[in-house]
Amino acid sequence: MLSILGGLLSLSLAAGFIGALTGLGGGVFIVPALVIVAHVPIYEAVAASLISVVATSAGASVAFVRDGWTNLHIAMVLECATVTGAVIGAYLAGLIPTWVLELLFALMMLQSAYFSLRKQRDELLPTGSPIAERLELGGELPDIIGGGVVHYGVINLPTGGLLMVIAGLMSGLLGIGSGALKVMAMDYFMHIPLKVSSATSNFMIGVTAGAGALVFLARGDVSAVIAAPVAIGVTVGALGGSRILPYADVRLLRISFAVILVLIAAEMGWRAMNGI
Amino acid sequence: MTTASDEDKILRVWTPLILRTVLIAAGTVAIIGLALMIKTPGEYVDHFRLVQENARRKDYGTFVDLLIRAFNGDPRSIITVGLMILTLVPLARVAFCWLFFLKRRNWAFVLFTTYVLAGLAAGVMLGRRG
Repeated sequence: MLSILGGLLSLSLAAGFIGALTGLGGGVFIVPALVIVAHVPIYEAVAASLISVVATSAGASVAFVRDGWTNLHIAMVLECATVTGAVIGAYLAGLIPTWVLELLFALMMLQSAYFSLRKQRDELLPTGSPIAERLELGGELPDIIGGGVVHYGVINLPTGGLLMVIAGLMSGLLGIGSGALKVMAMDYFMHIPLKVSSATSNFMIGVTAGAGALVFLARGDVSAVIAAPVAIGVTVGALGGSRILPYADVRLLRISFAVILVLIAAEMGWRAMNGI
Repeated sequence: MTTASDEDKILRVWTPLILRTVLIAAGTVAIIGLALMIKTPGEYVDHFRLVQENARRKDYGTFVDLLIRAFNGDPRSIITVGLMILTLVPLARVAFCWLFFLKRRNWAFVLFTTYVLAGLAAGVMLGRRG
């Protein structure tokens, strides 16, 4: 028994650790690890992963919120979109065939690999769109070069919202936080500074995954023997990864893990095509 | 009238506190359940094999049924209660924000947080419907 439990904990620790180092979150790694290594059905892996994503998000959010990196107002607006997508996604996850889930997962992994390698945009806008200004969604950042603070505005709220619905849908369907998609939407389309986007995405992931997890829990579809060690392992691994992150060669790590993501995507795609 | 930055200051103090408190409570309950399960011979391995074979039966029927089993010391039910508390982490902080914005009469954000809470409730209802 201890070998199974130890194996699950080790897999989860590794997934959380790598997820924190790459900024993609543990869900992207733990679902394929459970399916390919532990031979757990993808539906059970998705449920366990969603629970672990809630735990990781809550743990990491504490420091980001306290230190002012999370934009709470943007998070609350965009959560309307992510929750909508997540509830629909988690509901559909119980209805659609396994091969479709595996194929979607492979596609999301390719998107994550692209995200981890692409050049991030970080140009700030002094004012945002009228609706964003009215909702006071803009924020302030410490100005490292000139001292003081620099204001940033937010634009493209409808496009960001639409992408958040898709991110929520993928989260509920596949048991991932969809952080890569959320950060890309906020950073690239809404012009929110990258660090604020990452912290805000991490904060929103808790509600997104929580919405999906509630559907699975209410349906009685969460296996306690899988979800508990996975949640503990991924959370501890993520905390460890975030401690190591400042000392790591992030560029090299991102390239290595992008290659791993593409390989896992190929494996998941192959499984989908062959009905494994 | 209060500004967004005034609201931020208050939320930044309370939100981490809520997140941390519920997270610790959930983790403690789940670890107690896991420890009890380790002490019960065969329970963990048998259930894990059922999951692998896609033959697992649902652990509980209703929420009341689950609570009764947990109070009777059933390890799997205790872990599930811990996992449920964990999913309350985001729910608790959205509920807190809802109350906060209601008190501040920031109606736009009352509307947003109401929508999120309704979405979470809809998730539970959809799940119950299967």
